[in-house]
Amino acid sequence: MLICKVVKPLVSTNRIPGFEHRHLQVVLDGSSKKVAVDAVGCKPDDWVICVGSSAAREAAGSKSYPSDLTIVGIIDHWDPDSPVPMPEERK
Amino acid sequence: MEIMQVMGRLVCTQRVEGLGHMHLRILRNNKGKQLVAVDPVGAREGNWVFTASGSAARFACPEPSTQTDLTIGGIIDFWTPDG
Repeated sequence: MLICKVVKPLVSTNRIPGFEHRHLQVVLDGSSKKVAVDAVGCKPDDWVICVGSSAAREAAGSKSYPSDLTIVGIIDHWDPDSPVPMPEERK
Repeated sequence: MEIMQVMGRLVCTQRVEGLGHMHLRILRNNKGKQLVAVDPVGAREGNWVFTASGSAARFACPEPSTQTDLTIGGIIDFWTPDG
């Protein structure tokens, strides 16, 4: 799963029927912009976790939903500037 | 899904049966790389679109048996790339 930052909603009126009326969000994965299906309802600047592969399809609604990236959770507290400390090596 | 710009159409008469009669488009991703995608929407040159890749690309087609790994999911209403 990826930790991404939500940038803004993405509006696409002309879309394939398979995507239904689900909300799409532009998310930042590191420095690259991607589009994810929003299964939780997040706001801009939220830090979220996104799943890919076939889990993205099921998380977005059904096994045949055409998503390759789906937001599955909003992180309560996340400070991108202080990465998770590595566990200290045993001596 | 990724955001890409439509560069043009691609004509491919000789193709595997699994591609059916789907339209093909040349897309450019954010790194400037050219890719080919199946287009069930009808995007035009210059349009900004979002694309489904991998196995989701097949489910984004009207026929999930279509042999593709990149499909246009929709046309973005307003998009200004920065930089």
